Amino acid sequence: MAGNLPIKFRMLELFSDEQPHWNYEIVQKIQKEYNLTGDFYRDSINFDLIELASGGMLKGIESKVDDEGIYKKGFLLHKYAITDFGKVRASNVCLVYV
Amino acid sequence: MDLQDLRKLEHKRRVRYGYMWALFCAVLWGLWYLPGTVVWVLNPFDEMYGEIAAGSGDSMALIITAVLITAFNALTVILALMVWNGVLGKFGEMKRTLKQFKPCSKWFFLASIFGGPVAILGSFIAMGFVGGAFAAVAALMYPVVGSILASQWYGEKISKRAATGIFFIIIGGFVIFGGGLLSELGTGNVPWIGYMGGLMAAVGWGIEGAIAGKGLDVAEPDVGLTLRFLGENIIWWIIAVPLLAIAGFPMVKYALLAFEPLTMMVLIFAGITFGFCYVTWYKSFPLIGVGRGQGIGNLYGLFAVVFIILFFGDIPSWTLLLGGAFCLAGSFTMFSEDTSGLESLRGE
Repeated sequence: MAGNLPIKFRMLELFSDEQPHWNYEIVQKIQKEYNLTGDFYRDSINFDLIELASGGMLKGIESKVDDEGIYKKGFLLHKYAITDFGKVRASNVCLVYV
Repeated sequence: MDLQDLRKLEHKRRVRYGYMWALFCAVLWGLWYLPGTVVWVLNPFDEMYGEIAAGSGDSMALIITAVLITAFNALTVILALMVWNGVLGKFGEMKRTLKQFKPCSKWFFLASIFGGPVAILGSFIAMGFVGGAFAAVAALMYPVVGSILASQWYGEKISKRAATGIFFIIIGGFVIFGGGLLSELGTGNVPWIGYMGGLMAAVGWGIEGAIAGKGLDVAEPDVGLTLRFLGENIIWWIIAVPLLAIAGFPMVKYALLAFEPLTMMVLIFAGITFGFCYVTWYKSFPLIGVGRGQGIGNLYGLFAVVFIILFFGDIPSWTLLLGGAFCLAGSFTMFSEDTSGLESLRGE
């Protein structure tokens, strides 16, 4: 299934279940939904997550080193959760807030 | 290395990337002044200026010619951006973002109004009615407008240290253009519309940054920027140029004459430098914030003067060294800031 929403919209939507998610879960999900394969898209989608966090819409709550290479071996994995500001922005972009 | 150190390192890297983008922006913006200066003496723009000046005066000729040059600039910028987005494989995302007009792309179209007709035209008006140095100094004030708006509107954090850095860079710009500024203002009767143009430049670019920052919350920088230039092309080619043509200015005639190899080459060089200066500007905003990104972007004043000296062989004056020293001091004040408080750029 190809996604119809801009990627950052879809990310906020995925986080609006108010559960924390690991970055690799979100990146893999988006890659699959939007049919964007390859390392280049993986990194550029992860960068969208970094921008959302730096803009204060997501906050990092846990990190661990990727020892097993689930995502990128030796790099940090981050677990993010949506912030109140992120919820406001999510509802601004007309996502149905669950 | 433990987890905390790794996190800090990663965070530092993010901020460094942001500053790097902003610095690239300043270099490219400075480079843009080369084609931006040369294009005025090339045909058909030179001829067009002469024809309008004969009928309506020099200042009017400058503004009308500026509209056509800016329109061509916007056109070559969007060509450069299309290639860029094609290489990055972002056309799909562009279509998706464009469709979300109300929540998202409207911000970029709004940014194009403030960045295009308000700021760029204002800058040319300041240049035409007062002088080049005044226009440059006036534009240097835009990070002040941008950072105040971003902090008041959506609570972007701007530390004392970052504000100090921005202040030093502005002082540096004043010193660099100071001599020219004094002689331009010293001539006595400066028409108010010249000052108005200066104000338009500072406020326009400041507002553009703050608005773009808002849109970039939920959009990709490369895509957002392309939409912003799509907006600017609509403004110039669908609204301004036809209106001026109806008003009796020879817009169409000279627009068709612009397709000469040399003129086109200079315009394409202008499009590439201006386009990528904007790419890097927009990329820095989500990483270090609108205030810091614009503050470092302000180093364009220094780079422009340096490039003009290198390429046109003008002799640098001592004010350049002094002003450059202020700019460097301001940049280091910002680069060396402890960024651990910047995990998020917004206040809680």
